[in-house]
Amino acid sequence: MIRMALKLTLVLGVLTLATAAALVRPAAGQDLTDVNAIVERANLAAYYAGDDGSARVRMTITDAQGRSRTRDFAILRRDVADGGDQDYAVLFSRPADLRNTVFLVKKHVDADDDRWLYLPGLDLVNRIAAGDKRTSFVGSHFVYEDVSGRGLEEDTHELVETTATHYVVRNTPRDEGADFAYWTVWIDKSTFLPTRMDYVDGTDEVFRRIEAVEVDVVDGYPTVTTMRVSDLRSGGETVSEFSDVRYDLGIPEDVFTERTLRNPPRRWLSGR
Amino acid sequence: MSARGAMRGLALVASWAAFATPLQAQFSDVELHGFVDFGAAARVVSDPLQPDDLLLSEVRFQLDLAHYGERAEFAFKGDFTSDGVSDGVEVDIRQAMVSLRASDWLDVRAGRQVLTWGTGDLVFLNDLFPKDFVSFFVGRDDEYLKAPATALRLTFYSALANLDVVATPVFEPDRSITGERLSFFDPGTGGLVRAGSVPLAQPTRPPREVGNGELALRAFRTVSGWELALYAYAGFTKQPLAVDESGAPTYSRLASYGASARGALAGGIAHAEAALYDGSDDVGDAPTVPNSQLRGVVGYTRELVRNFNVGLQYYAEHTLDHERLLAASPAPEWEPSEIRHVVTSRLTYRMLQQTLTASLFAFASPNDGDAHLRPALSYDWSDGFAVTAGANVMLGDAHTFFGQLSDATNVYLRGRYSF
Repeated sequence: MIRMALKLTLVLGVLTLATAAALVRPAAGQDLTDVNAIVERANLAAYYAGDDGSARVRMTITDAQGRSRTRDFAILRRDVADGGDQDYAVLFSRPADLRNTVFLVKKHVDADDDRWLYLPGLDLVNRIAAGDKRTSFVGSHFVYEDVSGRGLEEDTHELVETTATHYVVRNTPRDEGADFAYWTVWIDKSTFLPTRMDYVDGTDEVFRRIEAVEVDVVDGYPTVTTMRVSDLRSGGETVSEFSDVRYDLGIPEDVFTERTLRNPPRRWLSGR
Repeated sequence: MSARGAMRGLALVASWAAFATPLQAQFSDVELHGFVDFGAAARVVSDPLQPDDLLLSEVRFQLDLAHYGERAEFAFKGDFTSDGVSDGVEVDIRQAMVSLRASDWLDVRAGRQVLTWGTGDLVFLNDLFPKDFVSFFVGRDDEYLKAPATALRLTFYSALANLDVVATPVFEPDRSITGERLSFFDPGTGGLVRAGSVPLAQPTRPPREVGNGELALRAFRTVSGWELALYAYAGFTKQPLAVDESGAPTYSRLASYGASARGALAGGIAHAEAALYDGSDDVGDAPTVPNSQLRGVVGYTRELVRNFNVGLQYYAEHTLDHERLLAASPAPEWEPSEIRHVVTSRLTYRMLQQTLTASLFAFASPNDGDAHLRPALSYDWSDGFAVTAGANVMLGDAHTFFGQLSDATNVYLRGRYSF
C-alpha cells in the first residue's frame, strides 16, 4: 500500500516535472492542447517577464476626429510571485497638468488591488477605489485591466483553433455584468505573447481590438514594444510605444510604498 | 519705481525667462514648465457691503522650475498674478525647496512648500497646514485651497512605522476671510461686515520668537492595505479666533492630537479620522479664546457605475464645555452649536474619453441649516488647454458658517494653458 502510494507520488512528480519542462520549452512542432496551460503561459509572457522591469511609455490617443493627445510616463514593475501579486509604479511626465503625478498599484490576485494616486499640486496622497477595472486608463482607450492584466479566473477559456503560428482562445467572462460577451485572443506559439485580442459584444460584433504591432527581444524576453487598441465603434485608437525597456534590475520592495509617491525613485526609472 | 512697478517688472522678467528658449537650452538640466490661467467670477446677487460685483478677474502666470540631481531635487513654483479686483500684481512663491533622499531611512524637504495629510475630502482635521479660504470660495482651482508654508519636513522610514516631522519656524496662519471681496459675520456687531466698515484691526500674529513656531508630527504605517496614522500638532489656531488685550483678533495656542485609518472596503475606499483640538482655555469660560473641540469624520467613496464616482462623508465638530462658553459669552446667540453636524457629497461623472468632467461637491449642515454647493463642468480642449465653468453657492442665515457668505454666491469661468 505504502509502495503504491509512493509509486503514485513518483508518477505525479514526474508528470509535474514533465509539465514544467513543457512550460519552459515545448518540443518543436508539438502543440499544446491544454487551454489552461496556454493561457497561464501567455499571462506569464505578457505580464511577468523577468522578476521586475522598467520602461518609458508614450501613449498617443487619437479620437474619431483625428485629434491626438499624448501621455508620457515611466513605469516600474516588480513581481511578488510569478503569476501572482505584483507592484506597479507609474510616474507621469506629460501632459504638463499630469507631470509628477504618481500612480501606485499593489495588484492582488485573490483580492481587490490597492491603488494610490499622488497629486503634487496639493501634496495629496489619494486612495483610489479598485472599483471598475474596465475604466479608461488616463483617458486612453486602454483600461486599467489592460495595463496590469485580467485575472485568469475571471473567464472560462476554450481553445477554438490552433493555426501554424497561433493558439486562438475564446475567453468568456464568468461575471455576466461584463461589457463584452467574450474576447478572443491570438497567442503566438513561439513567444506565447498575445498578439491580438478581439472583444465581442452580444450581437457577435467585434467592437474593440488590441494588437501587438511590434515585438522585440529585450534581455532575452520577447517584449511587445508597440501596442495599439482600437475602438471599432467610435473609430478612436491609442498607440503605446515602449522604449528603454529593462528587466531584472533588482528593484527593492520598498520602492513601491508611499515614499515613492512623494519622492520618485529616479535611479530605477527608465530614460531619465 | 514703486513696489507695484517692481512687481510688474519682475513678472515681465519671469515671463520673458519662460519663453526664452536659448536660456532653456543653456540650463538643459532644468525642467521648465508652468501655465497661464485666466479666471473670472461674478456675484449672482450684489453684496450691499462690497463695491465690486466681480470676485475674481485675474491672469495668473505660474513658472515651474525643477532640477533633478543624483540625490537632491530643487523645485520652484512662483505665481505672478495680475489681479483686476485688487488692481495690483501679486507674487506668491508656492514652492522653493530642496528635496533630499538623505539616506535609506530619511527624506528631507526644506523650504517653501505645500503640505497635506489626513484622510478627509475637503475636510481637514489633523492637517493644520495653511489653507486659503478666499481662493476656495471665489472660484480658483481646488489646488489653491492649500497655501504654502516655509518649513522643514523630515520623514523617517522604519520597519515599525514611518514618522513625519514638520517644523514651521515662523507661524503660518490660514489666508482667512478678512472682509475684502468676501463679507463675513462679526459677532461683535451681530451683522455682516466688510474690511474697513467697522474698526476691525488686522489680526495680531504671535511674536517671531523661538517657541512661537509650529511643530506637526505624523506616525504612519500600512497594515494589510489599511493606512493607519497618529498625529500631533503644537502651534496656534490657524484662524484669528481669539481676541487680544487691545481688542484685535489674534491666534491662541493650540495643541492637537488625532488618528486616522483608510482602506479598501466593499469595492470602495472607507476612511475615518478624529482629532482633539486642545485650546488654551482649559475650562472653556474665557470668551476671548476659542474652546477645545473634538472633531471627527467618516467617509466612503466608490465608483457606482463606470465613470461615475460617489463620495459621502459625515463630519462633526463638538465644542467642549459648551455651557460655560455660553454663560461667559457676551453674545451667546452667535456662539457655535455644541455639535455642528455636516454631511458632504462628491459626485463626479467623466465623459468623452475623460475629457469632459461634471462634478458636484456639496457641504450641508442639517442642524445649523447652512450649505455650500460647488458644481463644476470642465473640458480638456487639448493636452495643454482646459476650461472650467462652475459656481459657488452659499446658503444659510447670516451668522452661520456658509450662510455669512451667501452674498458671495458666484459663477465662474476659468481657462488654463499649461506647458
